[in-house]
Amino acid sequence: MGKIKICSRCIYDSNITNINFDEYGVCNYCNQVEKLTMDYGTGNHKGKQEFEKIIELIKKKGKNKKYDCVVGVSGGTDSSFLLLKAIEWGLRPLAVHYDNTWNSSIATENVRKVTSKLNIDLETYVVNNKEVDDIFRSFFLAGVPEFDASTDLALAQVIRMYAAKYKIKYIIEGHSFATEGISPQGNNYFDGKYISDIHKKFGKLKMKTYPLMTLFQFLKWSIIYRQQFIRPLWYIDYSKSDAREKLVNETGWKYYGGHHLENRSSAFVHKIYHPQKFNLDNRNWSLAAEVRSNLLPKKEALKIYNTPLEDDPELVEYVKKRLNVSNQEYEKVMSAPVRNFRDFKTYKKQFERLKPLFNLLAKANLVPMSFYLKYCFPLPKEKK
Amino acid sequence: MIVIVNYGMGNLGSVANMLKKIGANYIISSDIDTIRNAEKLILPGVGAFDTAISRIDKMGLREIFLDLAFVKKIPILGICLGMQLLMDSSEEGVLPGLGLIKGKAIKFNFDSKDKLKIPHMGWNDVILNNSSIITNGYQNDIRFYFVHSYFVKVEYDINSILKCNYGIDFDAAVQNNNIYGAQFHPEKSHRFGIQFFKNFVEL
Amino acid sequence: MLRTRIIPCLQLIDDSLVKTIKFKKPSYIGDPINTVRIFNELEVDELCFLDIRASLQNRSPNYKILSEIANECFMPLSYGGAIKDEFTAKKILSIGYEKIILNTAAIETPSLITKIAKYSGNQSVVVSIDVKKSIFGSYSIFSKGGSKKIKINPVDWAKQVEEAGAGELLITSMNNEGTWSGFDIEMIKIITDSVSIPVIANGGAGSITDIGRAVLEGGASAVALGSMLVYQQKGMGVLVNFPDAKKLKRVLE
Repeated sequence: MGKIKICSRCIYDSNITNINFDEYGVCNYCNQVEKLTMDYGTGNHKGKQEFEKIIELIKKKGKNKKYDCVVGVSGGTDSSFLLLKAIEWGLRPLAVHYDNTWNSSIATENVRKVTSKLNIDLETYVVNNKEVDDIFRSFFLAGVPEFDASTDLALAQVIRMYAAKYKIKYIIEGHSFATEGISPQGNNYFDGKYISDIHKKFGKLKMKTYPLMTLFQFLKWSIIYRQQFIRPLWYIDYSKSDAREKLVNETGWKYYGGHHLENRSSAFVHKIYHPQKFNLDNRNWSLAAEVRSNLLPKKEALKIYNTPLEDDPELVEYVKKRLNVSNQEYEKVMSAPVRNFRDFKTYKKQFERLKPLFNLLAKANLVPMSFYLKYCFPLPKEKK
Repeated sequence: MIVIVNYGMGNLGSVANMLKKIGANYIISSDIDTIRNAEKLILPGVGAFDTAISRIDKMGLREIFLDLAFVKKIPILGICLGMQLLMDSSEEGVLPGLGLIKGKAIKFNFDSKDKLKIPHMGWNDVILNNSSIITNGYQNDIRFYFVHSYFVKVEYDINSILKCNYGIDFDAAVQNNNIYGAQFHPEKSHRFGIQFFKNFVEL
Repeated sequence: MLRTRIIPCLQLIDDSLVKTIKFKKPSYIGDPINTVRIFNELEVDELCFLDIRASLQNRSPNYKILSEIANECFMPLSYGGAIKDEFTAKKILSIGYEKIILNTAAIETPSLITKIAKYSGNQSVVVSIDVKKSIFGSYSIFSKGGSKKIKINPVDWAKQVEEAGAGELLITSMNNEGTWSGFDIEMIKIITDSVSIPVIANGGAGSITDIGRAVLEGGASAVALGSMLVYQQKGMGVLVNFPDAKKLKRVLE
């Protein structure tokens, strides 16, 4: 067995899917982030200028409309911070929230505090709880890592729907490659076909209220509605801890203790499901990103990463209850062989075939660049 | 093991629920031997005084309670009617109380012009009269959920831990060494109740 | 001091949480258990659940969801919806609810109020009265989820119900419910003036000021809130919330 190699810059190691190292021992993820930083001018004059142009454009295009941009909110750090900044930049945002009914009260309270303090209107889409539990259950029984895929995709669809309703062209997203990094390829795959195939194979209830984004919908929003994605955090400097402090001081926002922990479904994924079933500790995404941005010394990051995750029996009980699985069934699934998206029908082939189209759309900001980078390139053969 | 006494009166489920939440080991029982061997005892109660006392006497629990209270000296907690049962007597009935704390239960009686409704029902503030382990961990503004038509006045002020006011001052929580009483429903008083039970469980 | 009770009044249709406007067009709000957890964490002092279509749809209460709710709550709970007999009432009380709420059954069988009050005390029986104001300004009461008009004056009915042993009244304005336009203060006052048992004002709250008015002008002992607690604001998205304690204190003084 070969020795595990760690990137000389961040903390990703050779276990990460599709990782490779250059002659300096720097991994391709670091290099990718570095390239994006240069392209977008993150945190420097170039980025600031670029971004100011974008703000002016948003204001101009949204002049006679009720809102000039849409911000998807979860109660978490990034989206809450974006709302704060949007007001500072002089924009008139509509906040949109997808309620998958697994929210913690901190998340709900944060959404309330931020939107009411900043006087921002909020639209919410609440999916039927039984339906969403059936979808979660399907993913759980399928044995794939993307337990929370339905939430991520639904939020994307719902944001698009409300942007279309109010004829808003600009969708502001809080993704930051600096603080989150690009998540390792091959993990966390999700698209509409994947969700409907898993649901077809393992689900019991018909999908009536769940907002599924099909390929058709995706293309419709980008090509016909021409909704554009703006990612301020790709242009400006961003520190999560500074953001949190500002949020607390200006809106009474509360921290929920960790990345992705504001909603119980993602908390389950990151605290229990991925570590225990897939031997994945996703803390490396944000830790590696912090190391890259020099916000955290590499030694510290490795130390944190090597401390085991805290158990959360209460959360496990909650999950079993919602998914309606017995203790035995739960254990059975948790120890069953892992499967991945390649075992199911997905749009991957279509995305790859449409690579030239998506390249153009990404350059025009009509689909997120990160989508293009992650989905339109074929993945090398799976490591056995 | 905490034993929640089941004598057929009282919302045992809610008390059990809160104990479960704080991770305490408990059992709900009407079995004499189980009760006799309790490490801690909770006596809930909703309903009429005499009905409760007759049931307790019928089940032969009076002697056991006296033994647990004064000989074995285990922590005992009476809730709502359960607290009133610990007294010598109640205006609500004619039968003798358990006499574990000297005092009596008296009926709320207001002039119609007072506009105070009976029962005393809702959340009300309490103030500390004498400190006790059972009232540890609270900051200012302590409140609990009350619903009762009779209130308790203990004979010795030293036994009165928390006081409340509803037209008249009365004892909201009482203590005589290892014997405790709460007029309010800690199991329905969310974080205030949780703290209260935590203190009892840690005794 | 005894606090004025501010009670989230949550509408259930079977096991889904919904919200109606003027008793019509129920919108989906979410999962009752998760909503209860949020109210738990917000330290709400009391919760009320009404299965608003149970009588109309001839269903019995969903004991499963009601038990689950009770297991999550550490504050007083009340439930109403298709409680037609003593047996059902006793069962609800035994699974952890402090009060049962009668509406249609009280109108059809007033003696039920007395029976339940005798068994578990007056304070455990709440009678819910749904009142509609006609365009001429007269008030009438409705049963079966607001669908059947009953020929009796609301004040007379309120007095009858008090006489029969009800511990509290939940008075709901059908015209104002879900509209955020404020309570029907006049209607509340007429009722509170005619009975001596506590009255809970329900239907129409749109702001903290409305809450203060219901108590100080209307004479209500408690206030029930619906839309205000499940939407971010009028016309906007679902967001479970509860008014700030300090602000409430100010309007109630």
